[in-house]
Order: sequence, then C-alpha cells, then structure tokens
Amino acid sequence: MDSELAVDAVGVTKTFGSLCAVDDVTVKVEAGEVYGVLGPNGAGKTTFLRMLFGLVRPDSGTIRIFDRSWAADGVATLDGVAGFIESPAFYPYLTGRQNLEGLGLLDGGVRRDRVDEILELVDLTDRAGDAVGGYSYGMRQRLGVAASLIREPRLLVLDEPANGLDPAGIRDMRALVRRLAARGLTVLLSSHHMDEVEEICDNVTIMRQGGVAFHGAIAELRAMAPDPGYALSTTADDRALEIAAATPGIAAVHGPGTGLVVTGPAHEVSSYVSALVRAEVRLLAFTPTRTPLEQLFFMLTDTDPQEAEAA
Amino acid sequence: MSATDVLTGRPTAAGPTTRRRPGLGSALRWESRKLRAQLRVKALLGGAVLVPIAVVVVMHSQPRPPKDTLFGRFALDNGFAMALLVLGFAVQWVLPLLTSIVAGNIFASEDQHGTWKTVLTRSTSRATLFWAKTVVSVAFALVALALLAASTVTASLLIVGRQPLTGLSGQTIHAQRALELVVASWATMALPMVGFTCLALLFSVWSRNVAVGIAAPVVIGLVMQLVGALGGIESLRPFLLTTPFEAWHGLLAEPRFTGPLLDSVVTSAGWSVVCLAAAFLILRRRDITGG
Ligand SMILES: Nc1ncnc2c1ncn2[C@@H]1O[C@H](COP(=O)(O)OP(=O)(O)O)[C@@H](O)[C@H]1O
Ligand SMILES: [Mg+2]
Repeated sequence: MDSELAVDAVGVTKTFGSLCAVDDVTVKVEAGEVYGVLGPNGAGKTTFLRMLFGLVRPDSGTIRIFDRSWAADGVATLDGVAGFIESPAFYPYLTGRQNLEGLGLLDGGVRRDRVDEILELVDLTDRAGDAVGGYSYGMRQRLGVAASLIREPRLLVLDEPANGLDPAGIRDMRALVRRLAARGLTVLLSSHHMDEVEEICDNVTIMRQGGVAFHGAIAELRAMAPDPGYALSTTADDRALEIAAATPGIAAVHGPGTGLVVTGPAHEVSSYVSALVRAEVRLLAFTPTRTPLEQLFFMLTDTDPQEAEAA
Repeated sequence: MSATDVLTGRPTAAGPTTRRRPGLGSALRWESRKLRAQLRVKALLGGAVLVPIAVVVVMHSQPRPPKDTLFGRFALDNGFAMALLVLGFAVQWVLPLLTSIVAGNIFASEDQHGTWKTVLTRSTSRATLFWAKTVVSVAFALVALALLAASTVTASLLIVGRQPLTGLSGQTIHAQRALELVVASWATMALPMVGFTCLALLFSVWSRNVAVGIAAPVVIGLVMQLVGALGGIESLRPFLLTTPFEAWHGLLAEPRFTGPLLDSVVTSAGWSVVCLAAAFLILRRRDITGG
C-alpha cells in the first residue's frame, strides 16, 4: 500500500530560529494524481517542497518519495523526481542548451536529440543558442519546465508555477500540467490561488502559518464552501437592506466602500433581486464578490481578502 | 517525433526509474565546462602568460636593479635571477589572488545565481559536487601556476639571458643547473597554491559571497606575511601558510637545505585538509533556503 504513494510525508516540522515555518505537516500524494499545496504567502509551502528535494533538512518527521528516503537512499531519493522551487535559476553566462546539457550530465547523461525535442516542446528552439542572462522571466520559467522534463520524471514538483506569468502564460502552464497528468505523471504543485488548485488538482492540503488548515479532496472542499457573495449597488441601499431582512436565507450588510454585500444560496438571491425590482429599487451593479471556494480559503487561512487581493 | 511523445518519455508505471548514476566524472565535466565558458577564466590564463612578459620587459629596461630584493641585484643582467625576482614578487599576493578568483567564486557563485537548488535537484549528491568543484579549482590553480612559471622563465631567459647565476651563498651556479633550480623553485609554489585554493574554497562555502571568497584569502595571505616578517615568532612560523612560499630559498644556498621544503609539505597539507574538511561539513549540513 505504501509503495503506491508518490509522496509520503508524515509529521514534517521545520523551524528557522523561533519561527515555525512548517509545523507537523502530513501530505500523502498517490501516484498519478495532481495534488495541490495551497496557502497564502509565508504559509510554508516552499519550505515544505524544499524538504522533499533535500535542500532543507526537516527538524522532525519522515519523508518518503516512491518509498525512498534521504536518510536511507541519499540522492537516489530524487530518482524519478523533477521540478523547481520558486522561480527556476540558471547560469546566465551559458546558453539555454548548454544549461540543459550540463544539468543532463548531473542526471547521468542526456541524448542530444532529447534536448532538441524538449526545447521544441517549450518553444525555445529559436533562442536555445542565446545566453540565459538575456532571457525574459517567462522564457526562464519555460526553461525550468524543460530542465525538469529532461529528467523524464514520474513525479513533477512545481512551486507556484504560475507566479509572475501573464494570463496567456498561466493558461499555457495549466494546460501543460493537465497534459502531463493525463500522461500518468504525478504532479505536486503549490499555489496561493484557489482557482488554480480547484481547476487542476484532485486533492489539496491547505497550509496556514506552517500548519495544515485542511486536507482532502477538492469535492469535499466544495461541500464546505459558504454561500456565494455579491456586491450590490442600488438607487436606495437602505430600502434594499430592509427588503433583505424580510427575505429568508439572505444576509445583507454595507460593503467596504459604497453599496451592499449580499450572501445567500443562488436561488434565494435571485428571488431577492426580483423583490427589489418589484419594490422599484433599481440595480446599478450586481457582481459576484469572489467564488465560494476562495471565500472558504480566506476563512481557513485567516487572511484578509482585501490584503490578499492587493498583494 | 510529436510533442506528446516527448511528454511520455518512458513508461511511468514501473518502479522508481533507475538511471545510470552520474559519478564524479560527470560532475567534473560539468564544472570544467562552466569554467571554460567564463570570460574571467580565459582572461586569467591569458594574463598568466602575458603579464610576466610585460613585467620582465619593464624591469629589464630599468636603469638600476632593485638591489634590496632577493636576486634583485643581478636581475638586470641574469635571466635566472630575473625569474626568481619575479617569483619573490608573485608570492606576495599574485599567487593567492590567482587561485582565489576561481576557488573563492566556485561555491559562492551558486549562491549569487541562486543555482544551488538547480544543481542539487538532479541526481548528483552534494558530496560529489563538492569534490568536483574542489578538483577543478585545484587543477585550475596548478595550470595557472604552470603557465605563469613557464612564461616568466622563458621571458627572463630570452630577454635577459642565460648567464651563470650567483647563488644565495655567493656560489656560482652554471646555466644548466640554474635552470633546474629555478624551475624547481617555481614548482615548490604548487604546495602553498593548493593550500590557498582550499582556503578560498572554505571562504566561498562559508561566506556564500563571491567578494569575500576572493578577497579574504588574499588579505589573510598578506597578514600572514606581515606576521612572518615580525621578529620573535619563530614558533608560529611553521604554521603560517605563507612560510612554504619561502621554502625554495634553501635550494639556492650552498650547501643546499631541504628541511623547509619538507615543512612546507606538512604545512600546506595541514591547511588544505582542515579547510576542505570544514568546507565539506558546512556544505553538507547547510539548508538551501535562498535562490
Ligand atoms: N531561511 C529562512 N530563514 C528564516 N525564515 C525563513 C527562511 N525561509 C523561510 N522562512 C520563513 O518561513 C515561512 C514560510 O516561508 P515559505 O516556505 O517561503 O512560505 P510560502 O512558500 O508558503 O510563501 C515564512 O514566514 C518565511 O519568512
Ligand atoms: Mg513560496
């Protein structure tokens, strides 16, 4: 049973001075699934992933990857594992191809035509002969994917892979992860965006200040999610509040700026809107505040949504 | 081959992929490839060849010899003396600097570029990378020293001449013997060069800072020379890494004495072993949190 697990991390803890960056975290990733580690900035996601790669030594807890551990197997623990931590870093004075070929040497050798294929895949063939120092952020990110794929991994570990990418880059990255997963690759990724994890992951661990705030299936999370919220702006907000108080299942409060925030099940909200129209309160704006899962994420991690959006 | 075939790579259902484990050889190839791609390394090796020629030409054109320097009195009309004068000058800071520019950089530049995480997430262990960097740094130091020595001796003999040399005890050494002794003197520099290389490697690992890795060994070398020049510290002298830089004096005395050379082996080896052991332990234990 244990050998089915791609990642089996139990009770992993790491402190930096007095700060507990990762506090008793247990994560089990089944072979073949896409697993998300979700949490706001500073939650400990990167530190946890660094421990998987043996970059950081845990204070306590055990980590097994495909049933191998750093203590027993050393660097062989990383056989079949690839990925990157934060934004991928390369040698700026070497070309993209030289970087890949050199890292291939550290993998035990890589065929030249394999490097060509991978460069083609991440769309860097034309720039492969240029020094990486001149690459854009997005190109370096793609080279990071290439450097991971030449290892022909069974487990891909990606730390906030969409960070710093433009919307098109984010879309491409998510599509790539889905394509890799469809091919049977196990993917463990971290993110601070609920929508990303919701879109591509099967299971999730939500981290908060080093600890685990939730772990389980995305479907479970959906069942826990609060009712959706809407920002409402009307010609008569006070009248709209009164109507809300009289409508069962609906809660309305004054929003942070002007207008109201209304929450309730979708069906009740639509009756409420009809009631407003009947009372001749005119709607100026009606927009969902955030998705219920996002709302839940903010609740679980104790983050202030306003702050998170500003960041 | 289509993109999707690329993705599959190899079957994923089997147990952990057991690939050919890269050994020290692969890591050595990688490290030396990186060195060869760096402009500064080419510049250093070029400088090791060209600068001595310029120095010999300039010295040779001086009206008066530098009388109060070892072999300075004869340097303007004796090529062997010139080669030894340049040696006496090189040991003050040129040799430590030459090796530090590579060895002091080789670990810290991984911090500078944030690439520890890149290389340590492959299939090569920290220990293997450590030894690869160490071997490549030592090899560079020895190559640079050999180029510097060959260029100095050749330029001195061609520009100044091959007259018999007056030794440190006033004895006359005929040209063939003098050449052997000059080459041997330069060759003894290999020991403290390796010592300074290991010192620079230690600073490179410990400080994680390229500037510290390069400057600290040079400054420490200068301080040790100052300390060595003080009176009344005879008991301390065998422990200084700069003392081996003077061991060659015995080769040019009459009768010849080689005691300092043996001490120099012990001193250089001692510094090298201690510095490498410390560097290895620091790197092994270290958490890679940057980059
Ligand atoms: N080297 C370090 N020294 C001290 N504190 C650190 C270090 N690395 C990370 N931390 C702290 O650990 C916490 C978790 O950081 P991190 O794992 O980077 O979180 P995340 O990736 O979720 O944003 C943060 O509070 C961070 O400041
Ligand atoms: Mg992070």
